[in-house]
Amino acid sequence: MMISQFFVLSQRGDNIVFRDYRGEVQKGSAETFFRKVKFWTEDSEGDAPPVFNVDGVNYFHVKVAGLYFVATTRVNVSPSLVLELLQRIARVIKDYLGVLNEDSFRKNFVLVYELLDEVIDFGYVQTTSTEVLKSYVFNEPIVIDTARMSPLGPASIFMQGNKRMPATAITKSVLSNEPGGRKRDEIFVDVIEKISVTFNSSGFVLTSEIDGTIQMKSYLTGNPEIRLALNEDLGIGTSDYRGSGAVILDDCNFHESVHLDSFDVDRTLSLVPPDGEFPVMNYRMTQQFKPPFRINALIEETGSLKAEVTIKVRADFNSSINANTVLIQMPLPTYTTRVNFELEPGAVGNTTDFKEANKRLEWGLKKIVGGSEHTLRAKLTFSQELHGNIMKEAGPLSMTFTIPMYNASRLQVKYLQIAKNSKAHNPYRWVRYVTQANSYVARL
Amino acid sequence: MTSSYTLSDRDRFNYFLRSFSFPFPFPFYLVLCRRRRRRRRRRSSGAKMSRNDSKYFSTTKKGEIPELKEELNSQYKDKRKDAVKKVIAAMTVGKDVSSLFTDVVNCMQTENLELKKLVYLYLINYAKSQPDLAILAVNTFVKDSQDPNPLIRALAVRTMGCIRVDKITEYLCDPLQRCLKDDDPYVRKTAAICVAKLYDINAELVEDRGFLESLKDLISDNNPMVVANAVAALAEIQENSTRPIFEITVPTLSKLLTALNECTEWGQVFILDALSRYKAADAREAENIVERVTPRLQHANCAVVLSAVKMILQQMELITSTDVVRNLCKKMAPPLVTLLSAEPEIQYVALRNINLIVQRRPTILAHEIKVFFCKYNDPIYVKMEKLEIMIKLASDRNIDQVLLEFKEYATEVDVDFVRKAVRAIGRCAIKLERAAERCISVLLELIKIKVNYVVQEAIIVIKDIFRRYPNTYESIIATLCENLDTLDEPEAKASMIWIIGEYAERIDNADELLESFLESFPEEPAQVQLQLLTATVKLFLKKPTEGPQQMIQVVLNNATVETDNPDLRDRAYIYWRLLSTDPEAAKDVVLAEKPIITDDSNQLEPSLLDELLANIATLSSVYHKPPEAFVTRVLSSAQRTEEDDYPEGGEAGYSESSANPANGVSSPPTARQSAPGSATATPPSVAPVPDLLGDLIGMDNNSIVPLDEPATPTGPPLPILVPASAGQGLQISAQLTRRDGQIFYSLLFENTTQVPLDGFMIQFNKNSFGLAAAGPLQVQQIQPGTSASTLLPMVMFQNLSQGPPSSLLQVAVKNNQQPVLYFNDKFSLHVFFSEDGRMERSSFLETWRSLPDSNEVSKDFPTIVLGSVDATLDRLAVSNMFFIAKRRNANQDVFYFSAKLPRGIPFLIELTTVIGNPGVKCAIKTPSPEMSALFFEAVETLLAG
Repeated sequence: MMISQFFVLSQRGDNIVFRDYRGEVQKGSAETFFRKVKFWTEDSEGDAPPVFNVDGVNYFHVKVAGLYFVATTRVNVSPSLVLELLQRIARVIKDYLGVLNEDSFRKNFVLVYELLDEVIDFGYVQTTSTEVLKSYVFNEPIVIDTARMSPLGPASIFMQGNKRMPATAITKSVLSNEPGGRKRDEIFVDVIEKISVTFNSSGFVLTSEIDGTIQMKSYLTGNPEIRLALNEDLGIGTSDYRGSGAVILDDCNFHESVHLDSFDVDRTLSLVPPDGEFPVMNYRMTQQFKPPFRINALIEETGSLKAEVTIKVRADFNSSINANTVLIQMPLPTYTTRVNFELEPGAVGNTTDFKEANKRLEWGLKKIVGGSEHTLRAKLTFSQELHGNIMKEAGPLSMTFTIPMYNASRLQVKYLQIAKNSKAHNPYRWVRYVTQANSYVARL
Repeated sequence: MTSSYTLSDRDRFNYFLRSFSFPFPFPFYLVLCRRRRRRRRRRSSGAKMSRNDSKYFSTTKKGEIPELKEELNSQYKDKRKDAVKKVIAAMTVGKDVSSLFTDVVNCMQTENLELKKLVYLYLINYAKSQPDLAILAVNTFVKDSQDPNPLIRALAVRTMGCIRVDKITEYLCDPLQRCLKDDDPYVRKTAAICVAKLYDINAELVEDRGFLESLKDLISDNNPMVVANAVAALAEIQENSTRPIFEITVPTLSKLLTALNECTEWGQVFILDALSRYKAADAREAENIVERVTPRLQHANCAVVLSAVKMILQQMELITSTDVVRNLCKKMAPPLVTLLSAEPEIQYVALRNINLIVQRRPTILAHEIKVFFCKYNDPIYVKMEKLEIMIKLASDRNIDQVLLEFKEYATEVDVDFVRKAVRAIGRCAIKLERAAERCISVLLELIKIKVNYVVQEAIIVIKDIFRRYPNTYESIIATLCENLDTLDEPEAKASMIWIIGEYAERIDNADELLESFLESFPEEPAQVQLQLLTATVKLFLKKPTEGPQQMIQVVLNNATVETDNPDLRDRAYIYWRLLSTDPEAAKDVVLAEKPIITDDSNQLEPSLLDELLANIATLSSVYHKPPEAFVTRVLSSAQRTEEDDYPEGGEAGYSESSANPANGVSSPPTARQSAPGSATATPPSVAPVPDLLGDLIGMDNNSIVPLDEPATPTGPPLPILVPASAGQGLQISAQLTRRDGQIFYSLLFENTTQVPLDGFMIQFNKNSFGLAAAGPLQVQQIQPGTSASTLLPMVMFQNLSQGPPSSLLQVAVKNNQQPVLYFNDKFSLHVFFSEDGRMERSSFLETWRSLPDSNEVSKDFPTIVLGSVDATLDRLAVSNMFFIAKRRNANQDVFYFSAKLPRGIPFLIELTTVIGNPGVKCAIKTPSPEMSALFFEAVETLLAG
């Protein structure tokens, strides 16, 4: 159950952190790893799998914020433990440093090594709780200039656009104070949903799924207990019927700090939030929901060596809500040589592109207002005659987007109660919702 | 606990460390540090140094070490503290500060934890090289292990365990004994792990001193963290011992199951995995255990969930009540599916495990096939696993849905995935008789799209379908035959030929079809030749007419006299003999009824599956190999000692462990970075070692080189690639060069226009070595009539082009004033010869012998004259073509050289010539003969001087 080495590599293979816990694996491992991962794409298609073995050494890696977090071992360990651990180490370090990137690592390497010595002893994971670590770790972070930094993680979307959101929380170290020296009492609860929908060629939903997380980050003083109430009629498992119109989750799991004593009765969770960012609850739902976008895509031959693509997107949500950073992509037949785009008159914030290299059409929309509909026409020119069904040689169409203050599952945080042992003033509470596309696909 | 020094101190310290920008407190990684430092220097060049920096960097006449020594012995506390930090910083950048050992150890007696941690860090690094001095630290360790502060006690015991010096180990025993019984759980949990550390150094000592008993006592500790570590330590010790040390008894079981509920998530995994070795006595006990483990399925940590699943699956084997089993299966499904919502890395592990689980208990996920449908943004490794599971879960009930998915995947972009999807359709056809027809019609639809690789893949699976359902679907043969000409992959060709032979009596023009293949018989791969042979024989037996008779003669002749392939030859002779002695017997043999094939999607052998299922939630279940196949744990601590030594520049990369049966574990084949021959570790002394901290581990393909290096290239003038006339007044000369193991593009720009030119950028097209710029082009504004030259560091394997290797380098240069200039350059292969290309005679001979003769290529250079031998050898050595040996053969001199291309491709070279006379014959042997043309070009250039 133990790892031998832990290291962090930059995207270019530079060693940023390297800790050897057991001396069983040769020192060239970082380089061996990087070569293997880098050249994997050439030997076969796609990325290297997260676990592989080279010359008797097992390499595990996850990619976080563009960095490789890697562990090695020679023994038959639990791979999910190691991969999960790598994710957690990334999270703990981010909790301490505020942001996770090469620069913050370099500036804080003494702190990072101190953390790593407490997180892992002789290859055995000891704790990954930021809260617990605080009592053993003495270095303080040097916070780097966050203005330049690109944000990371799902919550980072709150930094884009929407001015009502306080942007600092996500890049704030767990140890840092407000400029005045006083710690700001606040708590963030983010309901983040990633939705996957596959439409068939006639626009019917073939499969749909929501992967959701209730993420919490607390800066409250005095460790007060928190009560979080969800929809009262929330059902879990298909047999758990709670009336029509109820939200039914397929499955969910909870952070270990969560008490579920009254969850079965009134769907409230209580917990004393540890420091750092953590998922209070993960859930999964395949119950039918209303997809935020309806997509209609059509490709038709319009002559020899010619075809036309028509893409229609309708935003099926309230007009007070905007989706942003929308991108629609569609692979075109490989013998496509030219594409002429035709947008609707008056369209703003649209970008269109034909990616020659992989023969892909890209349509970007900065913003889509709820209830609106947008159409793109593209005239294709081919270099050779079609020899079959054109529908089979293009598509499927895929879409990515982010919709703040919207969640498809209708799961809600009804209230967020902070036990009143904190002093007179009322802490800031932020409950935020966001929906992102995971795999949002329309087939032709 | 707060540290005693002020923020400004800490800032200064960190600033100081930052100025080195080197993050490795451990000297093992020194090899990397020069790069790091250089880059830093480059970055900060021009930035003014703060006073603090200059203070640390200034060197007095006395030298750094004596100065530090003085500071370490200063009477002022602050000064001493500062000095230790400097020592650590020096250590991290690779300076040897071991001579300060005594002085640093004297600073160990401090109450300041942060400082103590730094001193301990120093100790771990140097204790091994200074074992006698390390004893000096023992007293402080022993004292610290009794400190009132539990953090200091734990730190002492943790650090002592990391110092692998025998003499220290003895002193470790008493403090360890005390700490195992400490009042503070943090100390006890640290001590528990320390027992495992000690066991690794000196197992006897651990047993003699009764630490195993103390460890077992800790299983009953009231702190779950201590219990978890004790379990982990015991499990490791048990793994390395043949004696029964950690046996799970009924009381232990119940203790651990109780601790499970209070443990941290990681502790839960330790305990669950230890308990999975427990064999329940009967069904009732198994049910009890399962009941207590089931709540773990709800855990957010995937490792806990999978370990719990493993435990439950194991106990389920004992449970007899079908109701209970059904109920458990139902309970396991949602958590298993939820694992697929985690990060793709975890999904991959989950899918590999699910693959095994559904082979044993298909009912668990029978209704969940939809969750295994691929998402368009799944990484390829996830998609491939999902396909595999979809095939396993496909049934008559869901096959329509599944086929719809497969059909969709078969038109995606990713070739490997598409192929696998097509195969999946075929496998479903073989598995589900009632769906076979639907599968075939999907395959035919796909063939009609006429995407080459889809067609070929479809033909391969259709062959299997024909074998599975003989005399059922032959009506589609006509459609298949339409695609005959497009087949170029051996397996597809072989399949098609098999189909023609097998159904020769139903295909009117079977003889014509086969004949079309016969012309190219000698060039076909063995697989195709074998099928052609058999198919022709079948044709002849079925239609013994004149055409086939002639064909069979051609084939038999080709397959016996004209071939070197024993398989082919033997088969041909058998057919020949059969046909000539008893044609009826030949019929019975060749046209015999074939055994029905079955679906291979549950391909694991039952015994292997059993073993893998017992290893669910371990690496074994990801690789689908038993642990013995890949676990190669190095146990000997003596062996390790050597490796851990402070690397005084002696590391030649990593030596590959000779005993490793695990080679095949990683699924797709990989480019071995060392070709045969070079695996025998090139002697470290060979690489020119200008600096101990050089790029010894050969990270030369992305090393950063200072740009402040003299930018004026020396040596002969660069070839002009874009004359001023063609470049609208900008003349560009350039050449690829190699310096200190790094490849540069040396460029000279001459501005003959009337305006200053600026904003230079450069871009390289895909090329055979994937050369690309390692950074932006550093050219300042060039005034009219002046010139600028630069060395652009290059990286390799960034944008590789396909196709045969070529020395063509296509370059585009632009600036703010002119349009983009494109030009071609031709590089000489020798710039890629690496510094570590020298071979020992013995390995040269071995490599030469190990390469097949077909890898030998030679070429004559009729006009080249070798004058002075020494000068030539020197010149070649400078270009990393290393002289190995020389012999005389009649009046000729024969020279042997070695060279090595990146990714460890060796070249063995033999030059034959008469000194002073024109004509040199160059013969080379290499695993990559396709490079030989480029190689000869390079050798010719080098020899010509």
